[in-house]
Amino acid sequence: MVWESLLAGVAVTVLFSLVIVGWARGAEARRDGHGAAATAYAGLAVLALAVFAAAVVLAVTVMLNKS
Amino acid sequence: MDDVVLWIVVATALAFDFTNGFHDTANAVATSISTRAMPPRVAVGIAAVLNFVGAFLSLQVAATIAKGIVQAELITPSIVFAGLIGAIAWNLATWFFGLPASSSHALIGGVIGSAFVAAGPKAVLGGGIVEKVIVPALIAPVLALVVAGLAILLAYRIVGRLAPGPVTRGFRLGQIVSGSLFSLSHGTNDAQKTMGIIFLALVANGNLAKTDDVPTWVVLSAATAIALGTYVGGWRIIRTMGTRIIKMDPAQGFAAQGAGAAVILSASHAGFPLSTTHVISGAIMGAGAAKRISAVRWGLAGNIAVAWVLTLPAAAAVGGLTYAVVALIGSKEAGPLVVSALLLIALTFTFGRRLLAGRPLTAEG
Repeated sequence: MVWESLLAGVAVTVLFSLVIVGWARGAEARRDGHGAAATAYAGLAVLALAVFAAAVVLAVTVMLNKS
Repeated sequence: MDDVVLWIVVATALAFDFTNGFHDTANAVATSISTRAMPPRVAVGIAAVLNFVGAFLSLQVAATIAKGIVQAELITPSIVFAGLIGAIAWNLATWFFGLPASSSHALIGGVIGSAFVAAGPKAVLGGGIVEKVIVPALIAPVLALVVAGLAILLAYRIVGRLAPGPVTRGFRLGQIVSGSLFSLSHGTNDAQKTMGIIFLALVANGNLAKTDDVPTWVVLSAATAIALGTYVGGWRIIRTMGTRIIKMDPAQGFAAQGAGAAVILSASHAGFPLSTTHVISGAIMGAGAAKRISAVRWGLAGNIAVAWVLTLPAAAAVGGLTYAVVALIGSKEAGPLVVSALLLIALTFTFGRRLLAGRPLTAEG
């Protein structure tokens, strides 16, 4: 339980931080005309957001199935 | 059971549910309000709606009160009534001093006290208290503190070189999600306790069989009570958790809530339920201490820890005393009726004066 909690708690914050980095750096790169970098950062943001969203869905599932 | 006693137990359970809601509002909204992720009224409004929805979502209703902590076969409606009074009293006292404390532990304490006075030491299962109250109370804040501390250190490392604007906006958005998860989780968990109490009272009174489903009016009333309590908002505790333990930035607010939600749900998944209040308090301290140890007001943290230690014995003392008074007046409807009337008069006198003076019921000051 301790390791699960540790991993989940840290992972959620790291994932959302990656969403913010990807989003912010992507916007910067787009403004500066670095298309490839902008795409790569946007990809990072989307991927991290997808995993974060999956974690939220998992959290709701755990809530609904607790005994 | 007499119908009068049944309805007194139902009303007292709903009153406890209401105090549970307003006492625990802070768990979900304090960090969001203090980092300005949401305006206060919007935050408590969303929390209230999600608590209401959560009460309908959970598939399991707690079928027993203080299961494994007191001898279930010794529990009577008068014991439950006195236990609820103990829990309500402790919720109100800790709210008055702005201290976050576990409503579940208060309920367990109240029932232990009343069961002890009613049936003696044999009514209380010491092993259950250690396993279900003391060990989780020790693990929850420490684990949350460590997880939130690690989480915020990594978050600062990842976003540290970005301009503050997007970071602040991003984490504020994230807090809406994490705060909502907290509220939903609270509704699925805490409203069930009240439903369980009312369900048991109805079974004991012969209105329902043990195998029956929980009636819709029970679910609706428990959901409404906890949602109303949440919307009224225990602002003193919100202030303590949002601004007095640490001055937090949105990243810390998100780390505390995100790590807290993850700890609660991971533990719940592993069959080891933890107190939401203990977890979020520990997480807030962890998010603050990781930035700078002196950022946490350790004196206040000590007061909160004292409140946690006192929760069980204090609620037990009030529960036991209430049961003694109820038994003294009369074991049937007279006892609960007189005690309820006296408490209503005391509450009206206390809070009525506040309302007449034009001061909001739960606002600071």
